[in-house]
Amino acid sequence: MEKKFPKEMGSLNSVFEYIDEFMLYHRINHSASYALQFIVEELFTNLVKYNRGSENEIAVSLEKVGDSAVVQLTDFDVDEYDLTKLPEASVDQPLGRRPVGGLGVHLVRKMVDELRYEYSNRVSKIVVTKNLKSSGVQGHGQEQ
Amino acid sequence: MFRVTVKSNNEIELIGRLDASQVAVAREALDRVDRSSTIDFRGLEYISSAGMGVLIKTQKRLSESNQKLILVNLNSHIRDIFRYAGFDRVFEIR
Repeated sequence: MEKKFPKEMGSLNSVFEYIDEFMLYHRINHSASYALQFIVEELFTNLVKYNRGSENEIAVSLEKVGDSAVVQLTDFDVDEYDLTKLPEASVDQPLGRRPVGGLGVHLVRKMVDELRYEYSNRVSKIVVTKNLKSSGVQGHGQEQ
Repeated sequence: MFRVTVKSNNEIELIGRLDASQVAVAREALDRVDRSSTIDFRGLEYISSAGMGVLIKTQKRLSESNQKLILVNLNSHIRDIFRYAGFDRVFEIR
């Protein structure tokens, strides 16, 4: 399943509806549903906030492969931005030294089983694999 | 849909889904908090990092006057996410 959404925060409701359709179709449990919504929101809003070059729509693809969901977000005609190389957020810092931002990607890393970035011909792709059999939101193989 | 209900001077309830498109609603309500307050999550189904940022910002501001937010009645998903974010070290969570 793939669907395109305008590159704006106002698209989020439609993105969630699209995820709901996917979850209902595949009868996926509520715990995995929460994690999938969170992951897609964080990645989608990251592309909106740090828009790197175009107003083109963002393509969101959801696919079930075995026990996992494979999520792909494609951003067209943009500069390269590899979020897998961003530094870890300082979640162990005391309140006074803690930055307000940077949490989203940190949490996505915790929740997924694989996070991959591809860039070619000014097309940016983020590919995430999330095991749907997890009992909670945490991804397999991700250290706490 | 997301909304904030102020139950008393120091008790606030978050209701619905607090995603990035609703964060202005949360910010407007929490910017008014000027003393230690309890935030009731009983009616909150979902929160993303955008809403979490508003909570951290509020906690930072309140801590400057030795005040704080206390978070109660979190569902299991939100509790897990807050733990991954280290919120259990900067908020009192009941």
